[in-house]
Amino acid sequence: MSSFLSRPFGRVVPALLAGTLLWLAMACGRQEAPAPDPITMEWSAIETAARGQAVTMAMWMGDPYINSYMRDYVAVELEKRYGVRLNIVGAQGGQIVSAIMTEKEAGTATGAYDLVWINGETFYQLRQIEGLYGPFTEKLPNAAYIDFDNPFIGIDFQQPIDGYECPWGNVQMALIYNSERVAEPPRTRAALAEWVAAHPGRFTFDSSFTGMTLLKSWMIDLAGGPEHLAGPFSEERYREHSAKLWAFVNEIKPNFWREGRSFPSSVAQMHQMFANGELDFTMSNNDGEVDNKVLQGLFPETARAFVFEGGTIQNSHYLGIVANAPNKAGALTVINFMISPEAQLEKQDPAIWGDGTVLALDRLPQPWPERFLSLPNRRFAPPRAEIQDKALMELAPEYMIRLYDDFRREVLGE
Amino acid sequence: MFEARGVRGALLGASLVAFCAAPFVLMPLLSLAGDWSFPDLAPGTLSPRAWLDFLGGNNPVGRVLLRSSLISLVVAASCTPIGFLAARFVAYDRGRKRWLLLAYAPYAFSPVILGTCLLFLYLRLNLAGTLTGVILAQSMFALAFAIVFFVPFWNRRVLAMEELVYTLGGTRLQAFTRVLLPLSRELLLICFFQCFLISWTQYGLTLLIGAGKVQTLPLMVFEYVNEANPYYAALASSLLILPPALFIVFNRRLVFTRERPAG
Amino acid sequence: MKSWVSERLRHRGWEASAFAIYLVVGVLPIAAGLIYALAYSVGLAGLLGKGFTLAHWTSLAGQAEVWLSLLTSALIAAATMFLTLLAGACFALGLRTRLRQGVVAYVVYFPLALPATVAAFFVFQALSDAGLLARVFHALGFIRRPGEFPAMIHDSWSLGVIAAFLILSVPYFTLFFSQVYRTEHLEELCRLTLTLGGKRRDCLRRVIGPIFWRRGRSHIVLWFIAMFGGYEIPLLLGRQTPQMISVLTMRKYQMFDLASKPQAFIAALLYFAIVSLLMLWAFRDERLDRDV
Repeated sequence: MSSFLSRPFGRVVPALLAGTLLWLAMACGRQEAPAPDPITMEWSAIETAARGQAVTMAMWMGDPYINSYMRDYVAVELEKRYGVRLNIVGAQGGQIVSAIMTEKEAGTATGAYDLVWINGETFYQLRQIEGLYGPFTEKLPNAAYIDFDNPFIGIDFQQPIDGYECPWGNVQMALIYNSERVAEPPRTRAALAEWVAAHPGRFTFDSSFTGMTLLKSWMIDLAGGPEHLAGPFSEERYREHSAKLWAFVNEIKPNFWREGRSFPSSVAQMHQMFANGELDFTMSNNDGEVDNKVLQGLFPETARAFVFEGGTIQNSHYLGIVANAPNKAGALTVINFMISPEAQLEKQDPAIWGDGTVLALDRLPQPWPERFLSLPNRRFAPPRAEIQDKALMELAPEYMIRLYDDFRREVLGE
Repeated sequence: MFEARGVRGALLGASLVAFCAAPFVLMPLLSLAGDWSFPDLAPGTLSPRAWLDFLGGNNPVGRVLLRSSLISLVVAASCTPIGFLAARFVAYDRGRKRWLLLAYAPYAFSPVILGTCLLFLYLRLNLAGTLTGVILAQSMFALAFAIVFFVPFWNRRVLAMEELVYTLGGTRLQAFTRVLLPLSRELLLICFFQCFLISWTQYGLTLLIGAGKVQTLPLMVFEYVNEANPYYAALASSLLILPPALFIVFNRRLVFTRERPAG
Repeated sequence: MKSWVSERLRHRGWEASAFAIYLVVGVLPIAAGLIYALAYSVGLAGLLGKGFTLAHWTSLAGQAEVWLSLLTSALIAAATMFLTLLAGACFALGLRTRLRQGVVAYVVYFPLALPATVAAFFVFQALSDAGLLARVFHALGFIRRPGEFPAMIHDSWSLGVIAAFLILSVPYFTLFFSQVYRTEHLEELCRLTLTLGGKRRDCLRRVIGPIFWRRGRSHIVLWFIAMFGGYEIPLLLGRQTPQMISVLTMRKYQMFDLASKPQAFIAALLYFAIVSLLMLWAFRDERLDRDV
């Protein structure tokens, strides 16, 4: 170390280190004074405060048409009408939770994200670590049109949303099949098992959100109905029913794609394989997606959607504001626009996205109800009214969290 | 003496060319494909749609390209001279071996693993999610490379020449501008290009320290891959790989050097 | 150590400051990051930390997951390195003239500027079930449907991962070996061996092989480390279980189960420990300070 202390180094280094520390201290101290909490402001003042803000939104970016709706419609309109710039960043579920958690650990006053697209287990985890801002939904003028009384909208994975996230879209899981290759789809779990056994290599599900949602429907079915798993998480019931689920999956998976040794890692990848003719089935959390993907030319015209007799899960997805969001006024303005009749109508158009609205048509002013009803009909998915009575409520979020982990152990054989 | 001649040599050469050039042919081709799915061997139609979107400014690729270039230029322009000087300190110091091992420290990390450990610190300094933060994080690798790269330059011969300048009454400035810079000009250029590449191709650190907000071309490629949008992914890939490849055609020497971190 | 640098020339403010910048930007953050990771892994940092505990370490030691992941990563990196050296030596020896002039001499440099991200995407496009190679097979009548094509993405042998790494590493070692061949005058040494009654095999085994190894050892270790900790390539192409170590660390870091975050840091620390030991071994008697 003698050289370290030798003359020039001995003089320059302390100076430099001191300089660096000073700079770091300045960087730490350079936090802007906290803006007033918009909750206390009038709505018009919020919109004024939002002008010029750049709102960062973290969302799942796994679908080019959803991304295009956000970039080419929502972001453009926001800039035009409210002077708000919307930056979209790809992050979902656990990534969002982990990013916000690390920020909390570091005591970051101004976070990286303002707005997050979440539901279920992400909402639950963010509430756990107090990562969400709110309650804010009552502040939004357009929230008056939202159908909060609908349990599929007002309750997220058995949790009351309590104003900490705003409903954005409502969808029901559906399986998609190629009617050219599958004349009559297997409408029950047992029929599907038979079909898979007779057609090896033509079925699989993805190892992320959509696939886990399918597993949840099956677990409900195996448990003998939703009432057996309703309510708060129960370790005992989870053990009992998940054991049956893993036994069922492991029994039929040898006839899955790749003998069930690996699963597509995303639903986009599974759609691609379905489009390539590698699979006869794909699936979506959005019952309207089949129409959207046929219109895009990704799926063949022979693609159809159906829902199991035992039901599939219907849920909503939401928009939340991060507790340390630097642009809360901007985020509120963005959300209010995204739940406006206009943006919701655009979103529900099968040619754009095909995502179900969260607005109650009977509360909308004229001419909006009319316009929603006259949207081009779905051609390839069953009508919403027909599948509504097969809608299952989401289970408590812990079930999903456990399924993610246990799927790796029980099925992938970690 | 082991040289493969005749047909064998031609085949061996052809296979190496095919192996190395394939990504540089497939990516631009795919970015131009209108529709290209199984089992077509070639795209059904060629359409410049993706490129027109890009040129027309309808998608974010243009902005990302600019940002990537800016980051990489700043990293290269700062790490090259700092590394040049720091290497002199290392080379002529009694503890050179110890310092040199420290210079290898970032090599011992995979960028994402390093990123998970560093994120907390960057957040504390309010640098996460900022351009400055990403530049600093990428500089860890680039600067380490530059030091390791330049240490061999500061050898006895160079030292003797520098000493000669002083013996002849020259100043430090003269030693620097008349002797050291001319001697090292090509190495400086190589180092600049290498540091540029280290930053240009960096994924893991940029993702974590940039919190996804500081988007660069490698991040963009992954984003398009994740949304199963191969044509745009190929476009972003082409923008990522074609400029350096073009540069290589004119200046191969600048590319092959010792011990560039591959991550 | 006896010095060949006079005191007068040794230390300059600018140079020392430049190195100090590196210490501040590069070394201090690493040290801080390691301390933080260690603190987190024993419950001394983090939102959910409840004071000192070794529970995370002991629970992880009992799970095969991390160990399998480290082993898989090492095996994949070793297999790739073996193939790289083999291919690199073949190309370097077989194509000496071609590597200096003509098309080969240009194209072989291209992959040195190829990001891992693009290499991974390229391999996905080329080797997936419906990829380019599968289409060639289809055109030749070997397969009728994509599903009949042998799995090379997410497959149990990690073929896609290895292929992507090879695109990056083979050109590097081809160029490296051909440079060593020239600078170490291996052509002359081999001729001498033949003159002295040796066979071509002896040239390879006793002259070229050992010299390639000696000159290349630090490069081999650095490349091995880069592959061992590779992220983008196994993320896109690798098998789902066991995952390579960087992918596993990131997954644990971002899992819904918030309690798994300390395990991510343990994986990071294990990775760092292994790689550091490897580097110290590789450089133990290497003259890092070899003159050019």
